[in-house]
Amino acid sequence: MAEEKRGRRVVITGMGAVTPIGTTVDEFWAGLRAGKSGVSALGGFPLEDLKILIAAQIKDFDHKARLKHFKRDRIISLADRYSWFAAVAADEAVRMSGLEMPIADPYRSACIIGSGAGGLVTFETAYRDLFILNKRATHPLTLLRIIGSSAAAHVGIEFGVKGPTFATCSACSTATHAIGIARDYIQHGLVDVAIAGASESVINYGTMKAWQALHVLSPEGCFPFSKRRNGTVLGEGAGIFVMESLEHAQARGATILAELVGYGMASDSQDMVKPTIEGPSVAMQNALDDARLAPSSIQYLNAHGTATMDNDINETRAIKNVFGDHAAKLAISSTKSMHGHPLGAGGGIEAVACIKAMQENWVPPTIGLDEPGEGCDLDYVPNVGRDLDVTYAMSNSFAFGGLNAVLIFGPPPV
Amino acid sequence: MDEVATKIIEILKKHMKEPRDDISLSTQLTDLKIESLDLAMIVFDIEDTFGIEIPYNANEDVEDFKTVGSVVDRVKSLMAGGPAAAAKA
Repeated sequence: MAEEKRGRRVVITGMGAVTPIGTTVDEFWAGLRAGKSGVSALGGFPLEDLKILIAAQIKDFDHKARLKHFKRDRIISLADRYSWFAAVAADEAVRMSGLEMPIADPYRSACIIGSGAGGLVTFETAYRDLFILNKRATHPLTLLRIIGSSAAAHVGIEFGVKGPTFATCSACSTATHAIGIARDYIQHGLVDVAIAGASESVINYGTMKAWQALHVLSPEGCFPFSKRRNGTVLGEGAGIFVMESLEHAQARGATILAELVGYGMASDSQDMVKPTIEGPSVAMQNALDDARLAPSSIQYLNAHGTATMDNDINETRAIKNVFGDHAAKLAISSTKSMHGHPLGAGGGIEAVACIKAMQENWVPPTIGLDEPGEGCDLDYVPNVGRDLDVTYAMSNSFAFGGLNAVLIFGPPPV
Repeated sequence: MDEVATKIIEILKKHMKEPRDDISLSTQLTDLKIESLDLAMIVFDIEDTFGIEIPYNANEDVEDFKTVGSVVDRVKSLMAGGPAAAAKA
């Protein structure tokens, strides 16, 4: 492959995280360091007849305090909660990057912020108003709150982004696809800067009922790769990056956090819920090929690790398939054991964990892993994180429908 | 100013970024820097407060919403529910 065909190198210069175990990157990382669980008793709305009574919710989120300095976007505080999370995470990422937004040529910036489901909480409130409370109309902002592109639009307005601005939607791979697409746009020269990631906030009565009916939620907790695992636990939050071409970042003397060296995708094209080994394997292999890395170059893998029966054993098999002998040497963890499953936002939050792991040479644990499940026989960093030199980290996102996306991060270029 | 006008001015102030105290019946809505989205929320609040439905389309210039006084008149005619109100709609 000709070198010029690879295009420009893409680096991460800012990141933001809103999670149930911390609503800034520092708090989130401290939560991972402490092996904190974000799972708690479900609350904030009438539980009625719900049977699953736990979730990883973000409690006491003061959106007004976190958004009060917003200047260009006047109505962000009236937006859906998923847009608040996106705006807060994007704001943290932009501040960390030190970028002056809007950039000199705002058409050379992109804002790609996905969401698996958009403003579902607004949806439910509006329909309760109409169908149960017999109100004569929905709130006038209902439509704008619901649409799955509103987080991208709000963030784009606040930061003056005039280039490509839209949302991705691929269930649990949403953030990873958003970051990957932004990488491609920068690599191919369409833009120089991108704000990319995803946000999710869907925990309400209707969502819990829908997930309950699919019988994939645990009534007890999120225990990836464990013998006692019996389903995932819904979470919420946002994980968002500021990404730049290497030249753009270097020209302004930015602190580079990591390079996004590889991105791979593959779709199972088989079943909505039953994953294949092939799809995730090809996605991981494509990311390695894209990064021009041998599997043995990866030290840490942040697994999709949802704690469902199917995912964890299938992901383990796919990792063995791709990594061969190195699979046993790889430090693998599912941080979902701590922050729950933030659905579309997962890949963004977990990518933040990967970059922190590289920066601090410490890999977060999989908590709640007392006894590994059958067929789950790799090193999942059980219960306690550990020091480990991490030069390259991989982040897996595998979604319902068999939509697989994988990112690989490497050290800041010198 | 009567009760309807007072309530409407309260609603307008609630939706203004920088509420002013010098709003009168002759104040032009454009002077209050009310934009289309604000107007949608103001109409919603007025409808809730007075139990009426105001037919309006954000795509059209609405004569009824030029001044504070014209909004008050429109609300009063809708509250009266007479044929004049229906015809105007």
